[in-house]
Amino acid sequence: MATDKKNGRRAVVVSGVRTPFVKSFTDFTKLDTIALGVAAVTGLLKKSGLRHSDIEAMIWGGVILPTTSPNLAREIALDVRLDPSCEGYTVTRACASGLQAITNAVSAIERGDNDVIIAGGSDSTSNASITLPSKVVHAIAPLALGGKASAADYLGVLSQLMPISEILPRQPKIAERSTGEVMGESAERMAKRNEISRQAQDEFAVRSHHRAAAAIAAGRFDDEIVPVQTPSGKWVHADGLVRADTSVERLAKLRPVFAKDGTLTAGNSSALTDGAAAVLLMSEEKAKAMGLKPLATISAWSYVGVDPADQLLMGPALAIPKALDRAGLKLADVDFVDMHEAFAAQVLSVLKMMASAPFARARLGRDSAVGEVDPAKLNVHGGSLALGHPFGATGARMVTTMANELARTGKQSAVLGLCAAGGLGAAAVLEAIN
Amino acid sequence: MSDFLLELSKNPRARSLIGALGLPIPLPQPLKRERGPWAARPLADARIGIGAASGAELVPALAEAVTAAGADAFIQLPESLAAAFRAPGETFGRPAKKLDSLAEGTKLDALVFDASGVRDIKGLRAVYEFFQPLVSKLARSSRVVILGRAPEGPDAEAAAVQAALDGFVRSVAKEIGRLGATANLIIVTRGAERRLGPVVRFFLSARSAFVSAQPVVLTARAKAIDEPAFVRPLEKKIALVTGAARGIGEATAHALALEGAHVVCLDRPGDDGPTSQLARAIGGTALSVDMGDDDAAAKISAALAPLGGIDIIVNNAGITRDKTLGRMKPEQWDSVLGINLAAVIHTTAALEPLLRDNGRVVCLSSIAGLAGNIGQAAYAASKAGIVGFVRATAERLADRGITANAIAPGFIETRMTAAIPIAIREAGRRLSALGQGGLPEDVAQAIVFLSSPGAQGITGRTLRVCGGAFIGA
Repeated sequence: MATDKKNGRRAVVVSGVRTPFVKSFTDFTKLDTIALGVAAVTGLLKKSGLRHSDIEAMIWGGVILPTTSPNLAREIALDVRLDPSCEGYTVTRACASGLQAITNAVSAIERGDNDVIIAGGSDSTSNASITLPSKVVHAIAPLALGGKASAADYLGVLSQLMPISEILPRQPKIAERSTGEVMGESAERMAKRNEISRQAQDEFAVRSHHRAAAAIAAGRFDDEIVPVQTPSGKWVHADGLVRADTSVERLAKLRPVFAKDGTLTAGNSSALTDGAAAVLLMSEEKAKAMGLKPLATISAWSYVGVDPADQLLMGPALAIPKALDRAGLKLADVDFVDMHEAFAAQVLSVLKMMASAPFARARLGRDSAVGEVDPAKLNVHGGSLALGHPFGATGARMVTTMANELARTGKQSAVLGLCAAGGLGAAAVLEAIN
Repeated sequence: MSDFLLELSKNPRARSLIGALGLPIPLPQPLKRERGPWAARPLADARIGIGAASGAELVPALAEAVTAAGADAFIQLPESLAAAFRAPGETFGRPAKKLDSLAEGTKLDALVFDASGVRDIKGLRAVYEFFQPLVSKLARSSRVVILGRAPEGPDAEAAAVQAALDGFVRSVAKEIGRLGATANLIIVTRGAERRLGPVVRFFLSARSAFVSAQPVVLTARAKAIDEPAFVRPLEKKIALVTGAARGIGEATAHALALEGAHVVCLDRPGDDGPTSQLARAIGGTALSVDMGDDDAAAKISAALAPLGGIDIIVNNAGITRDKTLGRMKPEQWDSVLGINLAAVIHTTAALEPLLRDNGRVVCLSSIAGLAGNIGQAAYAASKAGIVGFVRATAERLADRGITANAIAPGFIETRMTAAIPIAIREAGRRLSALGQGGLPEDVAQAIVFLSSPGAQGITGRTLRVCGGAFIGA
C-alpha cells in the first residue's frame, strides 16, 4: 500500500530544485554525479532557508554509480557539509530511481522514522566509467593483487589475454542485460508493434520542445533551476537541450539511429544528459511548525515489472492505473499527466495502451479502458525529449515541476508515469493540500 | 551412437558442397529445440500465416492464443473473421497484418488454417488454395497446423472431408520434413474450443520438434479447469517417473522438475546410483523398486503415501526381449507383458486413491505397438495394450479432471536404440519425415505438455513422438 496513514502522519513536498539539464560531454563534463547532487542540494537548502542541521536523512537515486563511492546520498551530504548525523542511502531503479528516492522518503516520514528528508537523484553520463572486461581483471588479478610474480606468471597472463578484441575496454552501452538490446532498439520495436508513425513521434517531440521553450520564456522554471558554476568558472543558468525553433520539417530530415528502416531519431529520443534534482520532504506537522507552506502531497504510487523481452518500456501503462486506483482517482479526474519521455514512441505506445479496452480487460482485469489522455493535460511544460534525461534526476524533476504546478494553478491532482530499464514502470499521484 | 548425416548436415560447407555436387545424400535438417523452462511467450516474434475456410469457428480462440504467445499474425481472412484479431492485437501490441503484405522473400515460421468450417469437397479446396502458394515460404523448423472439427450427425460428405484433412496433413508432413518442419491436425470437438489455446501453443512451438504427421483430438470430456498457467505450469505438483535412471525417463524427470514439479525418480535397485544422482540434481526423491516384483505397486504407493498425494504419474519403465514368435520362450513373454503392461495397470490402480483432482497419467507406448515389428510380438502387444489402458482409464477419471494419455515414441537416440544393428538403425532414422532420430528430450517435452494444465482437452489418446515415422522401437 502506498502510505501508512495509521499514525495519521502525512508527508508533504515542501520544495524542489534542479540543476540545469545539459547534454553530456558539454558544460558539466568535469562535474561528476556527486558534484551535480551537491549543486542541487545546496540550491535546495538556500531556497528553503533550512539550516543544515534540520536535514535528518538523505535518499538519493542514481543509475550510473561511481564504483568507488556508490552511496551518493552520503557523499553528497558530506560534501554539502550537512550535519554528520544526517544519514543517507542510495537507491537504484534505473530511470525511476529519483522517484523511488522520493517515495522512500514519504514512507519513512509517514512511518514516523523522520520529519525532514532530502530526496532526489542525479546522473552524469559524461562520467560513466569505461570498464575492463572481467576476463582481463581475472587474468591480471594474481599480478596486481597477489604479491610476487615470476616472469612465467607474466607470460601466463599474456597468454590468457588473446584475442585482443576480448580485452579492450568496453564502451558503456545502455543495453538490457537480459536481452542485450539497446533501449532505443526496444523502443523501435514498440513503435513498430504499436504502429506509431515517424510523423506522430516527430510531432510529439516538437510539442515537447515548444512547451518547454514556452515555459522557459515565461520564466516558469526560474524558481526550479539553480545555476551551477563549472570548475572552469563558467555559470550555467539554463537547460541546454531545448530547441524553441525546431519543427516537424526539421526533425523529418534526421536519419533513424536504431534501425535502418526505423522511425526513431535523435530528434524523437531523449538525449544523454547530465544533471541533478532534489526535493525537500517533511511531515505536515513539521512543515507547519516551521512555518513552511507545502506544495503538494504524494498520495499514492506504484511500481511494476514487465518482461523486458516483450515491450520493455510499457510499464507506465500498468503502473499509472494502479497508482490512480490506490489514490481513489480516475484518469479523467486528474488535472495533469506528466510522463517521462524516454522516446516519443514509448509515450505514444503507452497512451495507446491506456486508451484500449481490450488492453484493460486482458492486462488490468478491468472492463473499460483507463482512458484517453487529454493532450492539454499531458506534459504541460514539455518533458525529457526537450529538457533531457539525467537518469536518476528525472523522477525528482517531475515531482518538483508538478508539485509547483499544483501550487501555482490551484488544481487538485497530477499523475506521473515513468518507464525504466529492466522492464520496470513507475507511477505516482500528487495531490494539492487544501 | 551419433547420427553422422545429421552432424554432416550441421556443417554449412559440407551441406553446400553436397548440394553443389548433387550427391544423393539425404541431409536431415537440424531441428530447432527449446531447452529452458516454459516461457510466457514461446512464439515471440514468430511470423505465422493464418487462413480459414468459410464457416470457420475457431479463429477467435486462435487469434487470442497466437497473439498472447507473442507471434505476429499475417492473416488472409475475410473481414468478419479478421475482426477477431483486433482485440488481442491491441492488448499485446501485435496488430495482425495482411498476409499479402509480407515482404518478398520473407519466410514464415508457421502456417495455421482453420478448416473447422469445411463441410464439402468445395470447402476442402480452400485448404489446397491456402497452402499451395505458401508452402514454399515455410522456414526451417517451421510448423503447419490445421484445425478441424469432429464430424457430427449423418452428413457423410462432411465426415469425408474432415477425415481428408488427416491424409493431407500426413502428406504435407512428409513433404516439409526435409526442412525440419512438422505438420499436425488438431481436431476440436464441440465444447472444447476454449481448450485450444495451450495446445496450439505447444504445436507451434519448438517443444513439438519431433511431433509430426498426426491428428490430435480435443474434447471437453475431462472436467474443466481455470485458466492454465504457461510459466512454471507444474509448480506444487508431485510427479512419479518410473524408469527414471536414464534415457527418456531421465529426460522426463529433468523436464518435469524444470517446470516446478517435485519428481519422485523410480528405477530398479540395480540402478540405485544414477537414480539417486538424478534425484539430487533435480531436487526430487529417489525410489528403488523393481517393477518386475509382484509387490511393486504396493511398495510404490506405500512410499508415496507420506507425500500426501500425487499429481502426475509417468509410467515409463519398460523392457525389450525381442524374439520372433517361434523362438520366444514363455518367460520372455511373461517378463515383457509383466513390466510393460501389468505393472502399469497395477501401479496406476494402486496410486489412484492418491491421485489428486486434475491429475495426469502418461504411459509410454511405442510406434512398434502401433505399427508392429518383426521380433516384437510381445513388446508390441504390451505397448498396444497401453493404448487401450489409457482409453479406459481416461473415461473413468474424466469427471475428476484427470487425463490419461499414451506417448508413442518412434526412433529415439537412446542406449536401447544404439544397440540395434546399424542397417536397421539407419532405416529407423531415415524413414521418419524429419529424416533423423528424435532425442529423449523430445519425448520429455511431449510428456510435460500432456502433464500440464493446458492439456486438459486431450485425454484417452495416444500422441506419437516419432518425427512422422513408419517404424520404431
